[in-house]
Amino acid sequence: MSTKGTHIPDWLQVPFAGITPAPTQKKGQDLFPTGNWRSIRPVYRDKMPPCNNACGTNEKIQGYLDLVKRGKYLDAYALIKEDMPFPSVTGRVCYHPCEQACNRGKHDEAISIRAVERFLGDLGQALAKDVVKPGKPTGKKVAVIGSGPAGHSAAYQLARLGHTVTILEKSPKAGGLNRGGIPDWVLPQHVLDREIERLIELGITIKTNTEVGKDVSWADLEKQYDACILAVGLTEPNNVRAEGENKAGVHYGLPFLRDIGMGTSKVKLGPRVAVIGGGNTAIDCAREAFRQGAQEVTMITVEGNPSEMPAVPEDLHDMLEEGVELMHGFAVTAVRGNGKVEALQLQPAKFTGAINASPIAIDRDAPGLQFPVDQVIIAVGQHASLAWLPAEFKNDRGTIAVDRHGRLGNTKFFAAGDIVQVGSGQPLMVVNAVGDGKRVAFNVDKVLSGEPLQPWTIPIEVITDLKRMNMTYFPHFPRVQQALLQPASRRRTQDEVIQAYSEEQAVEEANRCFSCGTCNACDNCYLVCPEPCIVRPERSNGLYKILVDYCKGCRVCIEECPTGCLEGVPELDFDTGVVRMDTAFAITPGLHGRQAEQLRQVPNLPPKDIENWR
Amino acid sequence: MATVLDKKKTVRINGCVASAQAAKYADVDVITAYPIRPYTATMMALAQMVANGELDAEYIVADSEHSQLSIAHGASSSGARVFTGSSGVGVQYAYELYSPISGSRMPVQMMIADRTLDPPGDFGSEHTEALSTRDMGWIMGWSCDSQEAFDNHLMAYRIGEDPRVLLPQMVCQDGFFVSHITSDCELPDPGQVKEFLPPYKHPYPLDPRHPVSHGPQIMPEQGPPLQLERARAMEGAAPVIEQVHEEFAKIFGRRYDAWIEEFMTDGAEVVFFMQGGHAVTARYAIRHMRERGAKVGLVRLRTIRPYPTDRVMQVLSKFKVVGVIETNMGLGSVSSGGSLYAEACAALYQANQRPIVVSFMAGMGGEAIVLKEFYWMTQKMLEAQKRGGIEKRTHWVGFEE
Repeated sequence: MSTKGTHIPDWLQVPFAGITPAPTQKKGQDLFPTGNWRSIRPVYRDKMPPCNNACGTNEKIQGYLDLVKRGKYLDAYALIKEDMPFPSVTGRVCYHPCEQACNRGKHDEAISIRAVERFLGDLGQALAKDVVKPGKPTGKKVAVIGSGPAGHSAAYQLARLGHTVTILEKSPKAGGLNRGGIPDWVLPQHVLDREIERLIELGITIKTNTEVGKDVSWADLEKQYDACILAVGLTEPNNVRAEGENKAGVHYGLPFLRDIGMGTSKVKLGPRVAVIGGGNTAIDCAREAFRQGAQEVTMITVEGNPSEMPAVPEDLHDMLEEGVELMHGFAVTAVRGNGKVEALQLQPAKFTGAINASPIAIDRDAPGLQFPVDQVIIAVGQHASLAWLPAEFKNDRGTIAVDRHGRLGNTKFFAAGDIVQVGSGQPLMVVNAVGDGKRVAFNVDKVLSGEPLQPWTIPIEVITDLKRMNMTYFPHFPRVQQALLQPASRRRTQDEVIQAYSEEQAVEEANRCFSCGTCNACDNCYLVCPEPCIVRPERSNGLYKILVDYCKGCRVCIEECPTGCLEGVPELDFDTGVVRMDTAFAITPGLHGRQAEQLRQVPNLPPKDIENWR
Repeated sequence: MATVLDKKKTVRINGCVASAQAAKYADVDVITAYPIRPYTATMMALAQMVANGELDAEYIVADSEHSQLSIAHGASSSGARVFTGSSGVGVQYAYELYSPISGSRMPVQMMIADRTLDPPGDFGSEHTEALSTRDMGWIMGWSCDSQEAFDNHLMAYRIGEDPRVLLPQMVCQDGFFVSHITSDCELPDPGQVKEFLPPYKHPYPLDPRHPVSHGPQIMPEQGPPLQLERARAMEGAAPVIEQVHEEFAKIFGRRYDAWIEEFMTDGAEVVFFMQGGHAVTARYAIRHMRERGAKVGLVRLRTIRPYPTDRVMQVLSKFKVVGVIETNMGLGSVSSGGSLYAEACAALYQANQRPIVVSFMAGMGGEAIVLKEFYWMTQKMLEAQKRGGIEKRTHWVGFEE
């Protein structure tokens, strides 16, 4: 009897004929860790959704849409507030580069991200107390010059970091471009007021009617504050260098809107109004003109057709719906009239370069055109007013010279927003200014706490595109449209044109989100794993675990991951400090595992006594 | 449709039909078939039984013997009692499956009607094909007539399905000499079979309601314990085999020694040691020679796996000369003859009194071993006894003076 007296040690006990229960049952297949078959390991690796990447301040858009899906509105609001102080504002005014980047746009229609942001922003407005709290006081004092988007954002982030922040605003009311550059029918004043109140709740001091260079000097700033962020924006309108441009009835875009916004406007518009320019401010001016009493509004642009206009397409569409006429390919060379504008001399013109900022070539020999008007509003951009700035910090673009951290040389001064970005190729948009303010605020914080400055980068390993995702899981669903006031009635009122989402609409729209590249706890991997070796304590983002002892690397979960967050990583890429075979065996308390353990412990020492090696 | 069984009766049938009848009496659930002579007659008989409603079973015709045994493996894993079979090169073609089936401890039963291996094509009987699988973990033995074949099939199911054993079985018979020669065979009363052979119940069948993994990948260190357990099962089968033979005798009234049949060994000095159908001729020859005063007898091995080592030692060491009749090929083996010689010698090695052992290559290629050859072989054994040693280890019968 050869088997007589044989004994199988405990650590090698095996079930009958190796027949084992399914791994989900108690004990399961832990005796047979089949993970060593694997050459590819599935790994949950959240990637950058295109919306987050496209956002000027990198809001965690996929994240808050996912929270809205689950009805966690307050969490969603808190998540936005990490990067964006006023979602109620950007939820109305933003040019939403996120929606242009949205992968769903290539499938059916992009997610209406801005509408959901507005839903959350309005929710935040209604809270008695904001979810954001000031940070632990650092004792450092920071001045922020200007209360527009960049200054607002910088002050907000600095307060959250515990610094004592004072905003200096030259106008009688805080808000900057948010108040002066955006009409009420886009952004009602009370919404912005509430957001300014939130700054005060954070302990920020706002000094209005305080202008740098007049009420406060450079030296004062240097003396009174530990750091200072210049977010003064572009305040002075560009002219068109036309003959007779100083006549009565000639208005400029931003001051025109600003005076209306501040309630100080004395402009009375006649029936025929022309707007010069093809950008967003020009569009706002044209639409505002109707609301200020104009009967006929004509927009005159150098651009040869609407698609060349540097404007948000849907704003252009809404403007045309309201009845604004377009004239393309003309520049104003003279303002005719006896003391007051009566007509515009128009000559054919075009840009000499590919972009709208390039010099304009005007054909002065062509017959031209006399265009009769009662008023003209010129909206062809703005420039800075920096008389107070020491000359060493001015650059040849007429703005503030900063290093890549937004700092003026080695001083305590930083700058953010349009005043830095104009001419840099960055779009001059609210959300970009917010992002700039946020990044500079973090840099200021670093300087104040004595840490070295580093380039502000978001780690972008992969921007998720549709190829990474499994589109079979996404049926086509149309976008939930926001209701608009009728063009005929809205062009005479200051009422908001675009209507807010209801709760149901917000959830329905958020439900359309693909969660590109990010785990959204859809449970698909959990269900399709044939082993099954995907486990979760509860259904929640990021809580799935793969039992690598059993996973054979069949890739089913990877192929079937709707969002593309699961990816296959070659097993050799895992540097666990032990060789491949060792990893597979070490998990059993068997011979190979024990040998491997011993080899790790005494890598260079052979056993003294070969008899006792085991 | 239930399997139809009559009252106890005696019929005159050949070995193939006896095997088919045994499968019917065992009420098998799944039959997997692929034709090859001579065992085909068994499957033909079973096909008729299934077709005319005598036997309620799944009858699956595979595309090869490899598939045939694979299907048998799967069916057994799901808890079915499985019957399959083959001959000659067909047995060899399914070779891959023999270890997995025994390793997963599936009590598949395989009927083998021996056939010589190629080349050239030969329909004759030779035990080589079945013996080549003898170490794969299957319980194995030879029958010498249709009644013994019938009985061995029933006993093999009972042994293999015993929870202490759970091993597959090869129930072998010589092609043509047993498979195609009719002899009287008593078919039992169904009640007797029911009493003897309980329904098959595997402890861990494949069942979606109780999911288990059969044959998972293991670590190298987990191989040895599983091999040891398979070895324990094979060795542990020995007492079960004896117990089953005892119970069979009680229920059916036919008593077989589980391991060895001794024929006219009282006072014998030289004996033949062999297995299979040629023993029938051997008995006749021995009776003749005894009448003429030669002290010759027969020791027939009934079960070769597990090998009854101690029993063989104890029985054979009583004699002066043992002549092993091979009926199988062991080219270049210890004796340059067959494989039975080496095992018999190994069994005898620890004996205090060792007989002279000589090997006879007889019945090769399916030739009958005629009386004259038994006389010749007896002469050779008696010469060796007189000489006190062998002339040579292996004699090729019919080719020597």
